[in-house]
Amino acid sequence: MRNITKSLPEWLDPSQWISREYGSREIAAALESESPGPGDLAALLAPDAAYSLEILAHRARAVTRRHFGRTISLYAPLYLSNHCSSGCAYCGYASDRDQARRKLSLAEVRKELSALKRLGLREVLLLTGDKTPDAGYEYVEECVRLAAGMFPFVAVEVFPLTVEEYRGLVAAGCSGVTIYQETYSPADYKKYHRWGEKKNYMWRLETPDRALDAGMRWVGMGFLLGLSDPVVDSICLLRHVEYLRRKHWRAGISVSFPRLCAEKGGFKAPRPVDDKFLARMICAFRICLPDTPLVLSTRESARFRDGMAGIGISKMSVASRTSVGGYAGKVRGGGEQFGVNDGRSVREFCARLKAAGLEPVFKNWDAVYR
Amino acid sequence: MSGRKNESRKNDDLVLGKHRFVSRLLMGTGKFRDRAAMFKAISASGTQIVTVALRRFGEDGDSDDLLSPLLRIKGLTIMPNTSGAANAEEAIRAARLGRELSGSPFVKVEIHPNPHHLLPDPIETYKAAKELAADGFVVMPYIPADPVLAKRLEEAGCASVMPLGSAIGSGRGLATADMLKIMLRECAIPVIVDAGLRSPSEAAAAMEMGCAAVLVNSAIAASDDPPVMADAFASCVKAGRQAWRAGLMIRSDNASATSPLTSFLA
Repeated sequence: MRNITKSLPEWLDPSQWISREYGSREIAAALESESPGPGDLAALLAPDAAYSLEILAHRARAVTRRHFGRTISLYAPLYLSNHCSSGCAYCGYASDRDQARRKLSLAEVRKELSALKRLGLREVLLLTGDKTPDAGYEYVEECVRLAAGMFPFVAVEVFPLTVEEYRGLVAAGCSGVTIYQETYSPADYKKYHRWGEKKNYMWRLETPDRALDAGMRWVGMGFLLGLSDPVVDSICLLRHVEYLRRKHWRAGISVSFPRLCAEKGGFKAPRPVDDKFLARMICAFRICLPDTPLVLSTRESARFRDGMAGIGISKMSVASRTSVGGYAGKVRGGGEQFGVNDGRSVREFCARLKAAGLEPVFKNWDAVYR
Repeated sequence: MSGRKNESRKNDDLVLGKHRFVSRLLMGTGKFRDRAAMFKAISASGTQIVTVALRRFGEDGDSDDLLSPLLRIKGLTIMPNTSGAANAEEAIRAARLGRELSGSPFVKVEIHPNPHHLLPDPIETYKAAKELAADGFVVMPYIPADPVLAKRLEEAGCASVMPLGSAIGSGRGLATADMLKIMLRECAIPVIVDAGLRSPSEAAAAMEMGCAAVLVNSAIAASDDPPVMADAFASCVKAGRQAWRAGLMIRSDNASATSPLTSFLA
C-alpha cells in the first residue's frame, strides 16, 4: 500500500491512516469526536464498524437535519455529447466502444433545456466526454451561456480545463464544476486510463484548484466506487476536501458517491462496493463533513436512494437520462454512458420524498449571484 | 436591577425604522419538510416578520416557490434575505431584486462567502448595509457578534443589527453572550439574535438579557412538530421579554452579612 501512495503529494497522502488497525475503541472515539478527521473516517469504514451502521445512520440523519433541514436539493444531468478521445476502461463513452455518437447542436441543447425546465428543474449539470476537436472548450462555453439564460444554477462535468478557460465559463454563467478523480491510487489510475489526456493524474487532481482560482463557486468531488480500495480512496477524498477548504476559503464543495454501473463494454468492477458499505461511507462522510452537500445520483436504485435521502444525502439528481438527447424525445439519441437504476419521473420521485417528510427543492440559487 | 423600567408599560412594540410590530419572534422559512408545515408554524408562532431567501423565490405556481404563498398571508411582513451573496455587490443586486419582487422595504443583509459554515463577512456586510440604508431600505444585517461593527452599522443607518448567538444551524445557543451584552449596553437600535438558538429557553435567555427579538429557523423547521415548537418559542420570547421589562433580581453568590462591617462609620 505504501508503494501505491508514495508518489502522492503530502497533503493527500493517506499512508499514516491505512497502516493502522481500527477496533471498537477507535470506532467509539470516532463516533464521539468533536472534529472528526481522516483517522475517524478510517475507523468508521473499518470492518468492525459494520456493526455500528444503525448508530451511524442515526447520527448522520441528525447532522443532516441540523445543517440542511428537511429538504433535498434536486438537479438533472444533461449530456451534450458522447464523443470521447479517452480510453477509460470502465466507461461507455470510451473511444473504443461501439457506441452511437452524438453531439447536440445548440438548437437541440435548447430543446433539451426546455424539456428539463418543463419538468420543474432549475439546476442543470452539463456533461461531455473527454475533449475532441468537435466538442471542445468553445462548444462547452456556448452551451453554458445558453443554459445560464434559462437556469439559475448551471454546472459542468466536462474534461479538465485551464484557469483561463474556467474564467471564461464563469463569465458565461457557470457556477459549478464537477470533477471526479475516479481513483486516488496512482497505480490503479494508470491501469484504467489507457490513453488520451485523461492519463495525466496530476492535471486531473489539480482541476478543482484551477476552477476555484478562476472564481468558480462550487466544485463537486468524488471517486468512482469499484475501481480501487474504497477506504484508501475515501481517506484521500476527505483529505482533498480538507485541503481545498483551507486553500480556497470561499469554495463551496460537494461530495458525490458514484458507483460503477453496467456499461456497454461489459467492464466488471474490480473492487465492487455493496449497498451496506456505500451506506456506511455516506454516513461516515456526513459525520466528517457535517456542512457539505452530499450527492446521490440515479446510478443508484430507487430503494437505495429512498433509504439514503436525508440520511446523509442532501442533494440528488432526478429523472436522469444518460444518453445524448434523452429529454426532448424528438432528438435522435446517442448511446448511454451508463445504465440508470432509478428511472422514476420527477413527480413520482418527489411524491416519495414528500411521503418521507422531505421537501424537494428545485431552485436554491439565483442568477443575481453570478 | 436590569431592564428598562422607565419605558412605557403599555406600548412595548418592536420598532424597526418607521415600522412597529407586536411579536418579537422573527422566523426563517427554509428547511421545512413542506409548505404546509411552514404555514402552520408561522401561524402558531404569531410572528409578523419572516425572512425568505431570494434564491428560494420562484415563479408563482412552482412547487418550491416560497414567495408567492407568503405574500398571500395577511399582516405578514416579508424580509427578503441575500443568502448566497458572497460580496457586497451581489448582496446589493439581490436586495434590489428582492424589493422589486416582494414589494417589501425590509432586507436581511446576509453575506457569507463560505457556503459551508455560512458565517457573515463583516467587511462586505458593512459596505452593502451602508449603501442599502442610503437607498431607503429597512436594513437588518446578519453579523458576527462584534459590538464595534454593530455601532458602525448603526451609524450607517441600519434599522437593527442581527448578531449570531452561535454558528448558523449549530444549535449551540448563546455562545456569544458576553459580546451580546456589550452590544446591548451600547446600541441604540434593536439587537436581534439571529442563528444558533436550539431551544425556547435559549430564546428566553436572549430576551431576558435585553435583546429586542430573536430570529429562529432550524430549531423550528427541523423539529418533529414545527407548529408546537413555534408556539413554544413564542411563549418563551414573550416570557423573556416580560422578565426583562420587570427587571431581574441581581445575581449574587454572597449571603448578606448579618453583622455590618461598616457600622462604625455611622
